[in-house]
Amino acid sequence: MKCVICSRETDEKSYCELHVKAYENINKKYDEWKKALEISWKEYLSEIVKNPLTGEWAKEVAEHLIKSGEKQSVTQR
Amino acid sequence: MCAEMEKYTLIITEKPDAAQRIASALNEKGKVEKKEDNGVPYYVAKRDKEIVVVPALGHLYTIAEERKGRNYYPVFNFRWVPRYAAERGAKQIRTWIKTISKLANDADTFVDACDYDIEGSVIGYCILKYACGNKENISKRMKYSTLTKEELEKSYAELRPHLDFALIEAGGTRHEVDWLYGVNLSRALTISARNWSGKYATLSTGRVQGPTLKFLVSREKSIRSFVPTPYWEIRTEVEINGSVFEAEYEKQKIEIKTEADTVLNACKGKNGQVEKIDVKRFKQNPPVPFDLGTLQSEAYGLFGYTPRRTSFIAQRLYLDALIAYPRTSSQKLPPEINYKAILKKLGRVPKYKKLAKELLRKPELKPREGKKKDPAHPAIYPTGKLPERDLDDSEKKVLDLIVRRFMAVFSEPATKQTMKVHINVNEHHFYLRGRQTLKEGWLRFYKPYLRSEEVLLPPIEEGQTITVKKVISEGKFAKSPPRYNPGSLLRKMEENEIGTKATRANIIQTLYNRKYVREERMVVTNLGFEVLEVLEKYCPPVVSIKLTSELEERMDKIQAKREKRENVLVDAVEILKLVVQELKEKEKTIGKQLSNAIKRARLEERIIGTCPVCGTGKLIILYSRKTGKRFIGCTNYFKGKCETSFPLPQKGSVRPLGKNCRGCGWPTVQVRIKGKRPWTLCFNPDCPLKKERRKKIEMCNMQ
Repeated sequence: MKCVICSRETDEKSYCELHVKAYENINKKYDEWKKALEISWKEYLSEIVKNPLTGEWAKEVAEHLIKSGEKQSVTQR
Repeated sequence: MCAEMEKYTLIITEKPDAAQRIASALNEKGKVEKKEDNGVPYYVAKRDKEIVVVPALGHLYTIAEERKGRNYYPVFNFRWVPRYAAERGAKQIRTWIKTISKLANDADTFVDACDYDIEGSVIGYCILKYACGNKENISKRMKYSTLTKEELEKSYAELRPHLDFALIEAGGTRHEVDWLYGVNLSRALTISARNWSGKYATLSTGRVQGPTLKFLVSREKSIRSFVPTPYWEIRTEVEINGSVFEAEYEKQKIEIKTEADTVLNACKGKNGQVEKIDVKRFKQNPPVPFDLGTLQSEAYGLFGYTPRRTSFIAQRLYLDALIAYPRTSSQKLPPEINYKAILKKLGRVPKYKKLAKELLRKPELKPREGKKKDPAHPAIYPTGKLPERDLDDSEKKVLDLIVRRFMAVFSEPATKQTMKVHINVNEHHFYLRGRQTLKEGWLRFYKPYLRSEEVLLPPIEEGQTITVKKVISEGKFAKSPPRYNPGSLLRKMEENEIGTKATRANIIQTLYNRKYVREERMVVTNLGFEVLEVLEKYCPPVVSIKLTSELEERMDKIQAKREKRENVLVDAVEILKLVVQELKEKEKTIGKQLSNAIKRARLEERIIGTCPVCGTGKLIILYSRKTGKRFIGCTNYFKGKCETSFPLPQKGSVRPLGKNCRGCGWPTVQVRIKGKRPWTLCFNPDCPLKKERRKKIEMCNMQ
């Protein structure tokens, strides 16, 4: 399989080893954002895309999640 | 050349400057004679017996494979050969060795006066063994830490009866192990990529380079995957005796907005009351003397010099006899260096006169020392000698830093006071902090290089009412860990005990040369990621920080005669054999991955930034098929979306700067033409900076 973002080879996941870490971080940090600002998953994603402090890979994953309309990972909730 | 002469003493030094200094210091009759043989300088000094001092040019011998050629691996058989036999561009070494051999014929006593460390010991040993014809066992050793006349004379009078063979063995083993790692792994990577793509690109890794790249990649991954989280910081502006101060809220970070709003609303329009005042006095000890690592870190922090640059500057200052030997890991200053004499000499310099006098008035001079030791040299200190030539700015700065640090370590601790005023504003607590130096002590000596500010508070009493002028709630975001810079990376290598004081700075530079990293705040390139991924996947031992520092420890033990060279070499080869076998088996897969990375890296090198016209394409350096001329175009041109293009100078080299123009925000390039100063080029024809410049020129012309 290939990573949906950078086309690097992956095992069976949608993201490569580099983007999967960013994906996990996005899921993990949502709880803190929700508690802090009471925002929805969608709002959260667009906030982190806009934020200049967000890492490059995290931004790419967030943009992809917005486009694909994927909801927050169940396991991370 | 010296055929009619009586037999003399031949002294071998590491560099020409050191040869001249040693000859001048040891000469007792008349003037030192400078001679030359085929362009190789040497010096004749007269004492009770004639002395010939001949320099090397650093390493004259190196390790090479027994079988010729560069296109194969694994390589486990090696030998020491003259550098000209192994390296292109080392032709000069042939005449150098020839001259030393000729001079050795008429010598009856041999003295190795190369730097007293593992590198210097290997340099001297190889010359005595190979160029002088097995004189290593009868040679004597000069040991000195500064190139001052007094120390050189003393060192010559107290010659060590033989070479330091443990140091030579440790140095030799280090060279051999590093060569085995470097040649096998680098060739495996380079050959894999070349066999796949048919194109040559130098890729390298090594025993220390791999783990160092791993530090960088690990940090880069955290930065690129980073998701900032919001928090709020609350502070108040309070007025005391007509002056305004800022007080911080008791909780530094508030992670919920509604909580921050509650505090803000509760404090707005209310006055505060001083509940308590905590005053703490403490002593701040002087710093410890510089070893090379701390000097490099300090020079990076203060002047922005890379560790390699500082190392070069310090080496030049040492060769001018202005400072002690800089490649030391010691933070100790033994009394033998004669503190008083140095301070007296420093006192001749107007800017140090008062400070040196103050120290000389002390009944006893006792330096504050650090924990680190070096068996061969003390910490870096100034000799007190005045420069014989005009030093450049960077040399002046580093010398001043070393002088001031040296003086500071003999001074008294500073006494500082901190004040924490607890202010209650409607049951919310704020702290107003003050910082003050009560007694300067060593700070006076190190003043230009101090980085802490004083905050003086007016007299305040407990129970006093304070006017709150403003309450501010500022939304912020947590930041990612910072990128390494050459200074912090060097410290990281030191903490993990990988590499040596002499090699760390060069390894960092190699990472830049191989294009694994770019920019001062070190950004790992795609090529850097791919190389590390290959190494981690197929040969994890070579990037293991633990394994590298263990090997480092064993090599140190050779120096202390607690480990044998053979054991270390055998074990290193055993590890390498397995690793190289794995790399060989996966050569195609690795070649494909690296070739693609090289291709992407070359493309990355040509990308200048986002196209300011269409906003989605990238500006890239392109070459016209018709004329072969280079220009800048937008990648969206190929999709028929954007026709933005700009001409480029055809001479010299052009490289993206990675920075946007401060006038208009467009991406910029740097143009370098031989013999001219590099300049920054902004493509925007309407850039306000360009207009300003044009106006200035017009004004000048009118005048």
